[in-house]
Amino acid sequence: MNAKRVLAVAHKEWREILRDRLFFALAFVVPPALMLIFGYGLSLDVEKVPFAVVDYDRTPLSRDYAYSFIGSRYFDFKGYASNEREIDPLLKDNRIRVAIVIPPGFQKNLRLGRAAHVQSIIDGTIPSRTQTTKGYIAAINGHFGTELLAQHISRLRGLPLEQARERVQPLSLEVRYLYNQSAKSIWSVAPKLIMLIMIFVPPLLTAVSIVREKETGSIYNIYASTVSRGEFLLGKLAPNVLISVANIGVLWLLATQYYGAPFKGDPLFFFLASVLFVICTTGIGLLVSLLVRTQLAAIVLTLVVTMIPALDYSGFLMPVESLAGEGKIIASLLPAIYYTNIVVGSFLKGIGIEVLWGDLLVLAAYTVALFAAAYFLFSKRPRA
Amino acid sequence: MSAQINWNQAAVWWRRLAVMTAKEIRQLLRDPVLLSFMAFIFTVNIYLQGSSVSMQLNRAPMVVQDADHSAASRDLIYRFRPPYFRLDGEVGSSREAIRLLDRGEVMLSLDIPAQFQEALRKGESVSVQLQVDATQPLPGFLASSYAARIVGQFSLESALEREGLTPADLENVPVVIDDQRVRFNPNQKDTWFMPISELMEGITLFAILLPAAAMVREKERGTVEQLLVSPLTPFQIVFPKVIAMTIVILLGMSLSLLTVLGPLFQVPMQGSLPLFYAVTTLYIFTNAGLGLFVATIARNQAQVGLLSLLILAPILLLSGLWTPPEAMPGWMRWATLASPMRHYIDVSYGILLKGAGLDLLWDSVLAIGILGTLIFAFGMRRFRGQFA
Repeated sequence: MNAKRVLAVAHKEWREILRDRLFFALAFVVPPALMLIFGYGLSLDVEKVPFAVVDYDRTPLSRDYAYSFIGSRYFDFKGYASNEREIDPLLKDNRIRVAIVIPPGFQKNLRLGRAAHVQSIIDGTIPSRTQTTKGYIAAINGHFGTELLAQHISRLRGLPLEQARERVQPLSLEVRYLYNQSAKSIWSVAPKLIMLIMIFVPPLLTAVSIVREKETGSIYNIYASTVSRGEFLLGKLAPNVLISVANIGVLWLLATQYYGAPFKGDPLFFFLASVLFVICTTGIGLLVSLLVRTQLAAIVLTLVVTMIPALDYSGFLMPVESLAGEGKIIASLLPAIYYTNIVVGSFLKGIGIEVLWGDLLVLAAYTVALFAAAYFLFSKRPRA
Repeated sequence: MSAQINWNQAAVWWRRLAVMTAKEIRQLLRDPVLLSFMAFIFTVNIYLQGSSVSMQLNRAPMVVQDADHSAASRDLIYRFRPPYFRLDGEVGSSREAIRLLDRGEVMLSLDIPAQFQEALRKGESVSVQLQVDATQPLPGFLASSYAARIVGQFSLESALEREGLTPADLENVPVVIDDQRVRFNPNQKDTWFMPISELMEGITLFAILLPAAAMVREKERGTVEQLLVSPLTPFQIVFPKVIAMTIVILLGMSLSLLTVLGPLFQVPMQGSLPLFYAVTTLYIFTNAGLGLFVATIARNQAQVGLLSLLILAPILLLSGLWTPPEAMPGWMRWATLASPMRHYIDVSYGILLKGAGLDLLWDSVLAIGILGTLIFAFGMRRFRGQFA
């Protein structure tokens, strides 16, 4: 290994990147742009669910009941429908996602001290939204029912309403959100976006820059030169790693300063772990470049092994524990989840190497394995 | 006579288009690595994601800190059961609970105070505390929502019991009982939702990337100069690429429908499949227009890769697949209308799950058509400006 030759290759690579001005600009623009786009818009909070009401009862109490939905910020009232047949096309056309059907006799039953049955029809297309919506409906129903029950008990036992309320609702649940007190999506999403972006931008840059040399034939200059394969790989990768490290810094600033996500951990530990992570993902790009011959195939393969699985198997939106059987195995085979643990630990939980050393170790082992594989696969005497 | 010439010209025009399309298809077939990864995305990847990824709360690990150890506290704890919760045992102190939460080994910790049963019996108000790991907002929210339902029900039952009523008497107290009915996916199977959304994401990605890369490769290698000196019009250069890529993507989609979505996941495919194919074709053309636009900016495929992602990101985000459009801020809700994917999603779920037809979906189809025409015209104009 000759440092001078490594530097020469790195210098040539850096020149080449600089001369491709659009590419250079994109290498720095794409990561923060993705962070801004997704950070601003990606929220799984379900609000203002559009709904309609079919009120067969048309009494003051049924209107009250409908109003407990109309007045909620979780629902957006689209109007009354005259019967259930009108509901189906509305659901199919995405005009509403929920319909509440109040049967005749609603008020009569409740006034007589009997239970009243209502029906809610929910669009099940997107299951997580359906679940959330069901929760909202149950909460509103529970609240409405408790109030009626309290009035009933108060009349029955001759108690003041306040006391009756306490008696029908003796137990309450206090929820404390840890690590993210107001349960803000963005606090959790912004740090994880660093993972999601840095898992595919560095390998993409690396893979296309090597495959381009293969595709245009300029790699024959390297084959014919005295540069060894180790020197070539090191020199070729160094500028890409440098760009990615700079990007980590920018993304960190965006997450903490622009989105106001808390950073409770050790900055030095996070920085070093992040450098390791981008070296690791650069290694993925290197391996990809050795497996394909065209840049298009390199782009597609990079997405297949990095971003696509990282969206689902890294705890980005859902915890890895909720994955079914093979999903957990896939997750543990990819580097994303280990860096996610480091990101979440450093930003939200304020834990450092004392807990996260295991994740760091896996990333290091991953990196060594990738580079070893690439070193052995790369040959200066390619088969025709 | 002149009609004869026109007829000949038309025949030549179509022949050129056909020859160029054949060339593009042949070129694609010569990259088996690319084709196999495409096949992977449309089959194995969709299968894996559909079968293992769930956006629902699934056996969230929980520990309890029970300071009461009474029949009532055990009854409450027992209600935190699969499929939503999984009890991982008891801890002795809050410190231990926090340690487990820190390490991510559990997601929830439930604290039941001493004198819990006593307070319930006397009719005093009492509260239990749930600590939720909110580093994942969606499951955190779902967990607290389910927990609230369990605790609410428990609370109501113990109140009724104290009033001398059993839960079976629920019909005889004035409460609202809700019969929930879920339409289109009654069991809320993620294996119906996830694969369709993955399929749509795959189609969108390839519909932008493939035509753009094919175009830029000609620029990169200089073969575009050959095409430009040939009698082909710019349209005849560009459009065959779009046709070829559309055919390949539609084949990928068919592969996906016939091998994964149909036989493995039993997605109902309620509506008309010819309509679904027709709209998908229109949708691919629309995205190909974006690809064409990318191709006029980029000079090499590396740039194509980055630019495509930059265009793909807002399209995905504004599609409403992740963030519900109605929950977006006002201007953004309007911006979703400019994302062709937003309309395509309505059509796809509408046809495949809801069994909707053109009578309901015409507005979405029209929107894709209008966007496609605008985008394609814009891309074509830029391309002409660059080369003609």
